[in-house]
Amino acid sequence: MFRHWLLLPVLLPLPAVAFDLDDLQRRLGDIPGLEGRFEQQRHLADLDAQLDSHGSYRYERDARVIWQLEAPVEERMEFTPDAAENIADDEAGNRRDAQVASLFLELLGGDWQALDEHFDLSLEGSDEQWHVTLTPESSALKERLERIELRGGEFLERLELNAANDDELRIEFFEQQVIVPDSGDSGEAGHADDT
Amino acid sequence: MPTTPERSPEEGDTLTRRLATLWGVILLVCGVILALQLRHGLPTDTRLTAMLPEDRQSPLIERAADQLSTGFEERFVLALTSPSLRTDTESLARQLERTTANAQDNGSPLLDDLDWRDTDLAVEDPHDLLGDYRYRLLTDDLRNAIDDDGGESLVDPALRRLFSPAGDPQPVDDPFGLLDAWLDERDGSRIQAHDGLLTVENNGQRHALLIGRLSSHPYDPATQQALTRTLTTFMSHHPDTTLMRSGLVFHAAAGAEQAKREITTIGLGALTGLIIILLAVFRSPRVLLHLLLPLATGLLFALPLTLLIFGRLHLLTLAFGASLIGIAIDYALHLQCHRASQDSRWPIRSLLPGLTLGLISSLMAYLAQALTPLPGLRQMAVFAALGLTGAWLTVILWLSRFKLPACPHTRTLAERLWRWTTPRRQLVPSVAAAAAALLILISASSLTVDDSLQLLNPSPTSLLEEEQRVQQLMDSDTGNRFFVVEASTEGELLSRLADLGSTLTTWQDEGTSLDYDSLTRNVPPYERQDANLARVNTLYGEPLETLVQRADLPEATLERARSRLSDVPRLDLSYWLSTPLGELQQRLWLGETDNDGVAATLAISNVEDATLDGRLTELADRHESVRYVNRADHLSGLLALWREHIAWWVTLAIAALVPIMIWRYRLQAWRVLTPPVGAILGVLALFALTGTPLNVFSQLGLLLVLGIGLDAGIFSVEHARRPSAWLAITLSTLSSILAFGLLSFSKTPALHYMGLSCLTGLAIVWLLVPWSRPKAASLHRETAYVD
Repeated sequence: MFRHWLLLPVLLPLPAVAFDLDDLQRRLGDIPGLEGRFEQQRHLADLDAQLDSHGSYRYERDARVIWQLEAPVEERMEFTPDAAENIADDEAGNRRDAQVASLFLELLGGDWQALDEHFDLSLEGSDEQWHVTLTPESSALKERLERIELRGGEFLERLELNAANDDELRIEFFEQQVIVPDSGDSGEAGHADDT
Repeated sequence: MPTTPERSPEEGDTLTRRLATLWGVILLVCGVILALQLRHGLPTDTRLTAMLPEDRQSPLIERAADQLSTGFEERFVLALTSPSLRTDTESLARQLERTTANAQDNGSPLLDDLDWRDTDLAVEDPHDLLGDYRYRLLTDDLRNAIDDDGGESLVDPALRRLFSPAGDPQPVDDPFGLLDAWLDERDGSRIQAHDGLLTVENNGQRHALLIGRLSSHPYDPATQQALTRTLTTFMSHHPDTTLMRSGLVFHAAAGAEQAKREITTIGLGALTGLIIILLAVFRSPRVLLHLLLPLATGLLFALPLTLLIFGRLHLLTLAFGASLIGIAIDYALHLQCHRASQDSRWPIRSLLPGLTLGLISSLMAYLAQALTPLPGLRQMAVFAALGLTGAWLTVILWLSRFKLPACPHTRTLAERLWRWTTPRRQLVPSVAAAAAALLILISASSLTVDDSLQLLNPSPTSLLEEEQRVQQLMDSDTGNRFFVVEASTEGELLSRLADLGSTLTTWQDEGTSLDYDSLTRNVPPYERQDANLARVNTLYGEPLETLVQRADLPEATLERARSRLSDVPRLDLSYWLSTPLGELQQRLWLGETDNDGVAATLAISNVEDATLDGRLTELADRHESVRYVNRADHLSGLLALWREHIAWWVTLAIAALVPIMIWRYRLQAWRVLTPPVGAILGVLALFALTGTPLNVFSQLGLLLVLGIGLDAGIFSVEHARRPSAWLAITLSTLSSILAFGLLSFSKTPALHYMGLSCLTGLAIVWLLVPWSRPKAASLHRETAYVD
């Protein structure tokens, strides 16, 4: 079939342009990789139910995110920039998810230029405590997403995604530390030390 | 014109003068009509296929082919590569969007639609469109998984969806993501979004795609020019980009451009050559004007009337119309050559029988074609017949009334030519008959024919390669091969389509190169939809309970999800085709048939091995109410039909001419027929000997040979004694040879072959006339015809 319903772009490098969030981008962009722990809460409005999960993650710039779910089920997930095919290989992934995965990578990487293609961005706060709000521009995206909010200091600390159907996704990142990814240990999800 | 009408003492003069005035009025009216018709330019049609007859035996196939190709006709695809892809693509897109089809017509844009942003192809979310039907739509993988273990293996992936940060879980509507899987499998597109653009990647090279839909027909010259202009301008401003084009409009534009260029150079070349020759022979610009007058009036008469009858003029008709140069000028040449040698004040009387017979024989040859069921042939025949009639009327009614200076040089030239070309010996009927028999034998034994579609394809190779590369990039089919499937009900139709589809899938799995597009890809047969729902019911039993438990979802989820399975509607064709996604498959839906059934097309593409056609035909034969069509073969068949028709009608026309010739010329009739028939047989034998296949266009050339050859034969017998007649014949053959000799250099296959047979045929005509005309001894008889 010829037409399709691609809604989101894949991650892409762009020449730098003057932008309000320039500094923040440069600072986040300097980080080659991160690992740490996360806590995720998904609120399903329709069921009025909450799905909580937690685990560890490993982020490698422009390469991948490994999402190691520890509870309630053990599950290892991997997201890559042009993941459409890669993810489809392991069963449940699908194209739509892959697009959301791309978005997820852009959010983690603070890739404002890529995000600016589809969202209105606004920045508040200071270097130490910043808050970026993303509102979708296209009507296609608006039908699914209401708003995305990112908060952080040195790193991204909190991601909040409000879907158009009132579902909510909240992810807190903590115990984060910079890593320099190399080919040697890239297969393993990093486990940050407990405090 | 500075000539003065002659006064004639004859009684009929008043009548002819009135007729001459009437002819003037008719031409004036034609001129007005033509001016009105040409306000927006000459409505030409460059589609060679437009000349082909409709297939009356199978209107359903015709409709299927039409529907499959119209999707493509108005669409075009541009694949752009550039170091700065984003900005260049954007700039090209803006320029295309701004382009209007016509410089004067500010309001009408060239394109209906141009898709180039990644969001442009985003139609309404298919999740909303198919949400209600999802429990009846299962991919093969899901179906197999449920059949294997009741669906337990689907629990883990479902869990992952629930907890993935990038997931979009719908625990009530679709906990197992059935619809996502279904839609994913349907989306086989190679197009990727990149940098806000639609792109495809091939060998590490990224191409940006611009997919446009023209607001008017791709054969519309204004559309072609506007599009070509915009692209040329863009390329000249962006020299570091490469652009590949795909779409009928580019081929049509290239074909039209080439044909127009050639007709212009060939037409002008022939006209210039003709003028030089005529000036050399008659040494008078005034005579020249008189000689060209029948040609001009013939065109003035034929053009508006042909346009009135057919609406638009086919390019081939124009090319064929160029033949009028040869025949239309015949009449005036005979008049003037006669006048030059006889210095007669009123020469038309002695010439009238020959001129009239010449016209009648040509009209018979052409009008016979008008009776055929082939629209292209009809138009050419009508155009030629009208043009000839107009030229003839002008010669009879106008030219004969003017007194023109006859240069003594002309007479000398005619006599010199006569002496120089008259052979010592003469052809005798027995030799002629034997030669004819030999030629027929040669032609019959080794003449080959060619009805391939290549004849209709004037596109330059580079464009064809571009087209092919873009098609490969896009993975698209061309609507050339398809099945037409009929059934009495929609359900039955879907089952039959699915049967065919599963066989084709098996072939694919066995490694056969082929792809297909079928309605059942999106609308499974009803019995399968029912079976799918039953499977989902199984899946929603234990596996769903496991999922709800492991994810710690509320108990209510179970009941609410299960409640969705009651009253699931069947996805039917009418709903699917009405959705934005289904619209793309409307080309496959043929709707109700004449015998109260329904029909659909299953399009096949990517066939690399031509022997597959045989297997596909067999497959169709094995199924009830299924027909396999290879459009190229089908069109070839029509070309063959066309060719046979022409051959048949030419034979018939000659057969009808024989009694007329015998009635007038008695035993000399064979001398009239020898040049045209000899030339036709000669060309056929030459083709046979050189291994040149005969095609429909070379046959059209032979038709012209017949017309000009008959004129030559008639005049050489009517006025056998007169060097003037021979000079006229020589001049008219020479002018036609000039026109068609140039045509044989054309790059348009159709024109090339027409020119080739004309060139050889006319040369043979000219060579045969001196041998076959009556010799001095029979000259007495010649005067008998005249007086």
